[in-house]
Amino acid sequence: MSEKYGLKNWQELALGGVITDGGNAADYETGTWRTWRPLWRQESCINCLRCWVFCPEGAFVLKDGKTPAGKDRKEIKQIDYYYCRGCGLCVRECPVNKKGKKKAIEFVREET
Amino acid sequence: MPETRAITGNGAIAEAMRQIAPDVVAAFPITPSTQIIEDFAGFVADGKVDTELITVESEHSAMSACIGASAAGGRVMTATSANGLALMWEMLYVAAGMRQPILVAVVNRALSAPINIHCDHGDSMGARDAGWIQIYAENNQQAYDNMIMAPAIAGHADVRLPLMVCLDGFIISHSIETMQLEEDRQVQAFIGEHKAFHSLLDTANPSSWGALDLHDYYIEHKKAQQVAMANAKPVIEEVSERFGKEFGRRYELFESYRLDDAERVVVAINSVAGELKEVIDELRDEGEKVGLLKIRVFRPFPYAEIAAALKNSKIVTVLDRSTSMGAYGPLFVEICSSLYDANPRPMLYSRTFGLGGRELLLDDIRDLFEESKRYLNEGKIEKTSDFLNVRGG
Repeated sequence: MSEKYGLKNWQELALGGVITDGGNAADYETGTWRTWRPLWRQESCINCLRCWVFCPEGAFVLKDGKTPAGKDRKEIKQIDYYYCRGCGLCVRECPVNKKGKKKAIEFVREET
Repeated sequence: MPETRAITGNGAIAEAMRQIAPDVVAAFPITPSTQIIEDFAGFVADGKVDTELITVESEHSAMSACIGASAAGGRVMTATSANGLALMWEMLYVAAGMRQPILVAVVNRALSAPINIHCDHGDSMGARDAGWIQIYAENNQQAYDNMIMAPAIAGHADVRLPLMVCLDGFIISHSIETMQLEEDRQVQAFIGEHKAFHSLLDTANPSSWGALDLHDYYIEHKKAQQVAMANAKPVIEEVSERFGKEFGRRYELFESYRLDDAERVVVAINSVAGELKEVIDELRDEGEKVGLLKIRVFRPFPYAEIAAALKNSKIVTVLDRSTSMGAYGPLFVEICSSLYDANPRPMLYSRTFGLGGRELLLDDIRDLFEESKRYLNEGKIEKTSDFLNVRGG
């Protein structure tokens, strides 16, 4: 292990660069890539879940809820900013945003 | 019982493949290697070997499929030549970088253009940097024997690199030689079980193959590969010795033919060695101190061992059956590197011959030794690098 940078020496590497811990994408903080941040506005959200469908990182967290008629449904709970990389697909696909009167997801610059 | 049979080089390789019984063979035909897979396909159809034979749409696909099958834990083989090997080029590097012990029979043929289907080492020499172990054969028996030794070399825990067994197109692949085919059970016992390494099909232990490296890790992975190549040298010697004990035919990193007290030496690869030995014997009878160093293992290149073998020679003619256009021949460059630190160092020069299947006759070899005699007596190399037998000079 390199003392200075914490990187492995060649002898410590797995043969052929094989990765043997399955599902390790969960450890990758893609949130550090963000330069813009989506902000979810609950008061304008219609819970169509398109943002959750389109998010390439699975950064939308769902919760259990009820339709106005009382049937069970899934609802948006929050955005997980550990994974959100600010691609803006949710902002683009949101039907409330497309209507143009108000925004259910705003897109703002990440503070430096 | 081992069987004495008159069989072509391709036929012998197909028999070796049947005995090795790979899990998967993914192949695309190209002259002069086609018959290897044709014969092998016959074995599969007749139930003589239990292999998944995938006939793919190109050699690039063949090597890609081989890599996938190997990563899935299988013992994998294929065969190709010339432009077929060239079409696989990027995948050869992938196979080596992914440390998959894939075995390929390369039937040496000239690369286009112009299109030429005949014997030439341009194909395997063109792939010499890809990270594959390269073992060459003078005749059908050696091609078969090298293929039998290949799985034990490539799959060795200290090595785990892909390996190409090279044999001359048409001259060896299509010529019938009376040779010994060993018994199935003995061959299988010699080769042993294939050890899968992080198989993709092992769903209990999931793994990912062929991932990305950035500037912080690529060179470390390449260092590991280079070390594996260095490890291949003693492994080849060990497996060859075990082969000698088991089957009676002894092989080393290269063959020294009447080399001990030879003053004028020729270094060459593959079938031309047969003709060279013929002429050397005649010249020896005439009192000339001549000898041959026949290359068997080209990658990893045995620099130190070759330097030791050539240290008493006075002049060395290196024969290349391929070109590195704009530079000296690939074998010549390696031989020069081997001898760089030698003191005293023999005179060295390069002759390129036999491209596109052009014959080198016994008389041409006599002329070659005459020329080296003249250079030695004059103490001067007139021409360091030249082609042999080109009309127009």
